[in-house]
Amino acid sequence: MGTISSALNLMSQAFDADQAALNVTANNVANASTPGYTEETPTWQENDSIQINGVSVGTGATETGATSQRDRVLEERLDQQQQLASASGSRLTALNSIQALFMPDSGSTSSTAGDIGSDITGFFQSFSSLEANPTNSALRESVLSTASTLATDISNAANGLNTQSTGLDQQAAGAVGQVNALTSAIAQLDTQIQSISPDADAGTLEDQRQLDLSQLSQLVGINQSSTENNGLAVTTTAGQLLVSNSSSFQLTTGSVAGVTQIFAGTANLTTQLASGGGSLGGDLTARDTDIPNTLASLDQLAYTISTRVNAQNNAGTGANGAAGTAIASSTTGAKTLDIFSPPPTLVANTASGGTDVSGAAAAMSAVMTDPNLVAAAASGQGTGDNSNAIAMASLTNQTIVNGQTPTTFFSNFVSTLGSTVSNVQTENTAQTASVSQLQSQNNAISSVNLNDEASALTTMERSYQAASQMFATLNTIMTSALNLGVDTAVT
Amino acid sequence: MRVDPNYISNLTGSLDQTQTTLQQLTAELSGGVRVTSLSTDPVAAGQNVLLLNQIQVDDSFTQSSNLVQGQLQVADSALGSVVSQLTQVVTLATSANNGTMNSSNVKSISSQIAGILGEVTTLANTSYQGQYIFAGGQTSTAPFSTSTATSPAVTTYSGDENINYLQMPNGGKIQLNVPGDQIFSGTGSNSVFAALNSLVADYATGTVNTTKAVADTNDLSTALNYVSQQRVTIDSSITQLTSASDAVSSEQTQLTAAQTTLMQADIPKISTQLTLAETQQTALESVIAQLGSSSNSLFSKL
Repeated sequence: MGTISSALNLMSQAFDADQAALNVTANNVANASTPGYTEETPTWQENDSIQINGVSVGTGATETGATSQRDRVLEERLDQQQQLASASGSRLTALNSIQALFMPDSGSTSSTAGDIGSDITGFFQSFSSLEANPTNSALRESVLSTASTLATDISNAANGLNTQSTGLDQQAAGAVGQVNALTSAIAQLDTQIQSISPDADAGTLEDQRQLDLSQLSQLVGINQSSTENNGLAVTTTAGQLLVSNSSSFQLTTGSVAGVTQIFAGTANLTTQLASGGGSLGGDLTARDTDIPNTLASLDQLAYTISTRVNAQNNAGTGANGAAGTAIASSTTGAKTLDIFSPPPTLVANTASGGTDVSGAAAAMSAVMTDPNLVAAAASGQGTGDNSNAIAMASLTNQTIVNGQTPTTFFSNFVSTLGSTVSNVQTENTAQTASVSQLQSQNNAISSVNLNDEASALTTMERSYQAASQMFATLNTIMTSALNLGVDTAVT
Repeated sequence: MRVDPNYISNLTGSLDQTQTTLQQLTAELSGGVRVTSLSTDPVAAGQNVLLLNQIQVDDSFTQSSNLVQGQLQVADSALGSVVSQLTQVVTLATSANNGTMNSSNVKSISSQIAGILGEVTTLANTSYQGQYIFAGGQTSTAPFSTSTATSPAVTTYSGDENINYLQMPNGGKIQLNVPGDQIFSGTGSNSVFAALNSLVADYATGTVNTTKAVADTNDLSTALNYVSQQRVTIDSSITQLTSASDAVSSEQTQLTAAQTTLMQADIPKISTQLTLAETQQTALESVIAQLGSSSNSLFSKL
């Protein structure tokens, strides 16, 4: 050691190391756009120095491999925020579809169709008009047509909500399949990582695992924790194991009362997944909370209007003297002067004194076809009487729907729905901003910066050149040594 | 310090946002509506439902009041004619009662009064759009008919006592009709038809029982006053209706203005926002072009 040939040997090691480092740079540049790839930096190690005659002599450097640039804490934080953002994002998408069913009426068009608020007013006002001339058949016809508009718009809205619910249901079932595929992939990668690299960062394998985790985070809320040998345990935010000890636990779906529920083994996870996060959480929240709430309000409105209007009309007398009597063969509780079809739960409620209004909105329809059956006159009065029409019209001013008038109820309903959408929108904007900040931080650490690579390339090239120059110089020295001062023997 | 090398994709995100803003603003401009969905302004959307409701209520009251106004005016003019006919009868009866007329003149007065009786009956059976307006709730059949089987003849009322009201948007009520028997067959000396029938009988033979005829004439005068009093009810309904209708119209104007302010787009404001958004978009585009240019990469300098 300490000889010219050992110096040459050091240089050949330097070539190897520089080439290895250049290889890392080349790999970084090649993968600059690969999803999930984290930038790698060459690891340099000084070789052990040796003592010769009490003098410490260096033995060069070796490139021992590449290290992925990652911050696990930051990555996990990004995943968590991603779960929240995609939950509120998918819920927002669903809510936007819901609110599209209740577009505000600008009031500039003459047609009232399509807006339930205007329909309610139009219907009750048709009775106000009837007060002026209770026997006028055009005014009677207008009662029937406004009733039909109201019923159609309410049932269309309810059916629209049901369709959206079905769509979300299918979306949720589809997401479960993706979750299972990702957890299997994570479990497989885990096995490889544990066997290949139990003590250190596993490079591209870990990149892939992280990519899968990040995709999983968009779908469902998860917690992750490191286990021995660089392994990973993944649970849902509520603690249900998804990946542990290199094996994955598959979620299954099943239909309960026509609604898709998600199980792990026999445990029903639907509720905890709904509040857990991810797009699955958002979809489930929309399906199980937002749509049922909206539908419940519509049902309440439809049930109350149908039953109160029918009751009041049956209490009066039609233009042909017809009185409201129960239809003999009816199992629905229908009566002769019904304007709307009786709500599906009417008979059960009448028997039990219950207040179940479910399905009333979807089933709402105007059944009366003969305008003479509109009971403008009170029971026993002549056809010129309008006191029942007054009673009908005044239903609109009575607090009949949950302690509110029908119009106030609808007004509060749209305000509440609008506020919910607006809140989720704000929440989503904040979460998305937070995700992009974290993403930016993470990119700063892990993303391939081409300018850095260019500079690394140049540095390494120069280093290689320097080593070459050094080698050439040593070669000259070696030549001189071999020739022992005679210039021409060896060149 | 390391930086996020993907700043251009972040800028592209901003560009997308700017485009969404542009789209929203353009939609507001072209539709002229500010609140295009419930979440844009939930409170305004709720308020809008209430305002539209009130506007619609006012609108429909205005239409109803036009309908009802016609009916009330027909009733008023019918009662006006009744009053002038009855005044004529009182004049005729007074001249017959002063004892200077011969028998054939008295008989002729009897038949004149009988003719007026017929006209008053027709007026009492006045109909509006096919409905008898002095029949209470029984508007499909003529309420008054006279039977000549007895002397004096008897006029009977087949309607009922039903009174219809029109409800005003503020909750008040306007009376739409007065039952015919209240006007024409009042109790005691208030009955128009009883007095008229008696007078026809009084003069029918040509000889006048002055005491009775004078008493019947006095009854008719009383009944005449009574009809005028009933007419006041109709007149006051017309007045109420006119003023209510005016009030409702002006309320409707105010509400429409409020609703427009609430929901309509503020064009100058949106135009300004649109210009700003456009400028921002141009700026972003040129920043992206500048930064994205390959000459900015260190590789291009090597």
